[in-house]
Amino acid sequence: MTKPIDLLQGTLDMLILKAVSLGPLHGYGVLLRIQQISKDRLEIQQGSLYPALYRLEHQGWITSEWGESENKRKAKYYRLTAAGKRRFQAETEKWNRMADVIAGILSTTPEEV
Amino acid sequence: MTLWSRLRSWLRTILQRARMESEMDAELRFHMEARAEDLIRGGVPCEVALRRARLEFGGVESAKEECREARGAGFIESLLQDIRFGSRMLRKSPGFTAVAVLTLALGIGASAAVFSLVNAILLRPLPYPESSRIVLPELVSPPGVNLGSEYFPWGQLQFRMLTRDANPFQTVAAFQNDSFNLTGSGEPSFLDGFRASQEFFSTLGVAPALGRSFTTDEDQPGHEYEVILSDRLWRERFASDRNILGRTIELNEYAYAVVGVMPAGFAFPRAEEMPSSFNFPREPLLWVPLALPAEPKPGLSELAVIGRLKPGVTTQQAQAAMDLVTRHAEEQDHRWIGWFNTRVVPLQRQVVGDTRHPLQLMLGAVCIVLLIACSNVANLLLTRSLGRRREFTLRAALGAGRARLIRQSLTESLLISVAAGAVGILIANAAIYFVKMLGPANLPRLREVTLDLPVLAFALAVSLATGILFGLAPAIGAARDNLADSLREGSQKSGGSRMSPRLRNALLVSQVALALVLVVAAGLLTRTFFQLLGADGGFNAERVLTFQLPLPAVKYAEQDHIVTLFGSLLERLRVIPGVQSAGIGETVPMGGEGESTVIRMPDHPAASQKEMPFANFTVISPGFFAAVGTPLLRGRDFQETDATDSLPVAIVNKAMERKYWPREGALGKQVGPGSTRFPLLTIVGVVPDVKHASLREETAPEMYVLYNQKPWPSLLNMRVALRTKSDPAAVTGSLRDAIHAIDPDLPLAKVATLTTLVDDSMAQPRFSVFLLGAFGVLALLLASIGMYGVISYSVLQRTQEIGIRMALGAQRRKVFGMVLGQGARLAGLGIAIGLVAALGVTHLMASFLYGVRPTDPLTFAGVSLLLLGIALLACYLPARRAMRVDPMVALKYE
Repeated sequence: MTKPIDLLQGTLDMLILKAVSLGPLHGYGVLLRIQQISKDRLEIQQGSLYPALYRLEHQGWITSEWGESENKRKAKYYRLTAAGKRRFQAETEKWNRMADVIAGILSTTPEEV
Repeated sequence: MTLWSRLRSWLRTILQRARMESEMDAELRFHMEARAEDLIRGGVPCEVALRRARLEFGGVESAKEECREARGAGFIESLLQDIRFGSRMLRKSPGFTAVAVLTLALGIGASAAVFSLVNAILLRPLPYPESSRIVLPELVSPPGVNLGSEYFPWGQLQFRMLTRDANPFQTVAAFQNDSFNLTGSGEPSFLDGFRASQEFFSTLGVAPALGRSFTTDEDQPGHEYEVILSDRLWRERFASDRNILGRTIELNEYAYAVVGVMPAGFAFPRAEEMPSSFNFPREPLLWVPLALPAEPKPGLSELAVIGRLKPGVTTQQAQAAMDLVTRHAEEQDHRWIGWFNTRVVPLQRQVVGDTRHPLQLMLGAVCIVLLIACSNVANLLLTRSLGRRREFTLRAALGAGRARLIRQSLTESLLISVAAGAVGILIANAAIYFVKMLGPANLPRLREVTLDLPVLAFALAVSLATGILFGLAPAIGAARDNLADSLREGSQKSGGSRMSPRLRNALLVSQVALALVLVVAAGLLTRTFFQLLGADGGFNAERVLTFQLPLPAVKYAEQDHIVTLFGSLLERLRVIPGVQSAGIGETVPMGGEGESTVIRMPDHPAASQKEMPFANFTVISPGFFAAVGTPLLRGRDFQETDATDSLPVAIVNKAMERKYWPREGALGKQVGPGSTRFPLLTIVGVVPDVKHASLREETAPEMYVLYNQKPWPSLLNMRVALRTKSDPAAVTGSLRDAIHAIDPDLPLAKVATLTTLVDDSMAQPRFSVFLLGAFGVLALLLASIGMYGVISYSVLQRTQEIGIRMALGAQRRKVFGMVLGQGARLAGLGIAIGLVAALGVTHLMASFLYGVRPTDPLTFAGVSLLLLGIALLACYLPARRAMRVDPMVALKYE
């Protein structure tokens, strides 16, 4: 297993939105889901997860409610809101465009300049 | 949508703070426990799993702080925290908090009260619509003519010229005070009122609340029997009867139809709002038409004039227009030259009048108190912040940002100032209540004083500004500190930067200096007050009863009739048991100004009519001087043998003798009224100067004449003075009986003892002394608290040093002296600066003083000693504490 890479600035929000878009999750579940999807290649600071969740909720992209966890414990579940869904799509498109541009720049050879 | 969710989240933060916090805790605990369970499943031993989970998570507290901020509630959250923490800190040192809050509250309360007075009396417009357009055109005495007052009543002819020619005015009205004997409905009573021309009410812009004002027809001689009542008279005398309109009431034995009732609170003109020489009644209760004759009488009259300027016309323009009228009149008739000088005075300025000066004095005094209070609180906060330096540096070391530290200490001082503002408002309210109760009745507009919004805003602004200013300084100091150094040093020893003791000393010195200025001012006023109490008014006020005897003009049209009445009245009064002597006079001492007139003296012929001398001219009866206790200096008193047909005689006061016959004396000299229709009188006696309105007045020349030797003025409004053997109140009953035995319709007015009259005349100086004295005591108290704080802090700081000195053999007495010396040096410096400042300031209050110079050395020296004594007393406790320092304890202190 390769050493996990640190998260790029500003991408945690997008990853959280993606994680909860697949179904309601509690905070720890968001962490597990991201690690699972990324196949443990991303290192997420657990301490920074919750401020991000609170920020997204404050902005109205996600909403929360108390529910019961798999092992019958009270846990707070996050869901994507309609506004959050639109936001997530917009962010995804932006990211893809950006990634294309960056990739294009980085793959440029001396002959193409 | 998102805006709404943000708002909701803020609201939730504020309203459900506790729930949000516990939910956050639960969520994070769930995270940690779930992680620990996973770790256990992965093979990590139970005991270490939770610990590992925590380590992986990182700083829980900082994550929580970030969460709170993420929720958009960081500011509110930490503000609440600051307030909670701040109030806990303040509760932990209740002594400091109480002193700081009380000090500031006293300053704020006192200044809010004085500002309310100033606002209501000086700044707020008068309660008349567009009151800035209302002016009083006043006649000014010709230059070189001394009437005892610069004002001069308008004559009928002059008023007619004014209405005809001068027209900066939209409307102009004349009025004249008069007394009315109300009979026919209950006990006869004597009412103060005014005869007013038709435009009087429209000039003021106030219409009757009930009925109408006078018509032009009613303002004509022969048709003037209509009356407008004041709200108070209507209420008290006619039981607020709405059917009063059209009914007739009997005034001075004429039937008057009631045509209107004025709104509540209207009582123009009140005595205190007009020049005092007009001698107007305190509060008019009714108005009747002036009804000037179509052919106005030339010569003197007793009119006052009020005008409403046309829109856009300034006082200066009005003055210019009036000057034009004057010149025009002088060109047409040379006799007018010098006798038609006018001055246009805005009503507002007239009403405020002489009150401006005492109020400015109060304003200055209260500003000093506020300054002392603020600098005291600043000193307290500074001292405290030095004591808490270690706490602040520790918090900085633990990661508190500088901004956060500053905010923290700001919050604390703001808490103090908000609390002080609240207490200050209570104090201000109480103070206003007392001022309204105890304030002199002649303070204009006193009844309008309230603690209003602008004043509240002012008080709050002052308290907040103080809080911010003096909360910031220590916080910035703390934030700038070098962490490592501060932590290494002991909290006691490190007295802050070298600047702060100097700053604190400077604050203290300025407090002492300011207090000195204030107390010197209060001392000068107090000495003035006692000088006035001891001043010789030319009479003896003890056991003297006075009252006014207004005679109905219809019944007593003949002067002989009045003379007979007075003769039999005096006879009857003198035999009342308990009466020592009785006399009748046109005025009584402290009863107000009397008449003055042009006089002629054969041995002082006037070069021209303009240079004819004036003198007060007072009609009295034999026995008057004995009754009011005026001793005869030379010659003889009036006697019963001075009859209508015997030699006409006069008595003059010392001022008159000194002015005209300084060497040879006045006895045997001749003097008479200006008009040659009256005979010359022979001066038979000289009496001391009797004061009329105030004990501080400069007495003018005065001559007394006998009521039964055909004097010039009318005798319709005389006063009676009775000297009694015991309590004057005991004779009032038999007095009424005696008067009503002669004429049952005669009303008695203004029954008062001479002591009461003197007391009333002292109301204003007493009030000033009371207020300024209160401020002085406050200033002394605050300055001594400041002194105590600074010295005891410095002793605390120097504990170690004092311990070493003692260990090296310093004597306790010497240590005691050293601390006292430190206090004395600071106090001495403050006193020196204060003395210089006081010398510069007290000459401004020369007009308030009587019998004391503004640089009175006794007051200056006394106050300096007092202040030094109080300063040393304030140092005494800390000095004793220093003396008791145990060298061992002090050295181990670190």
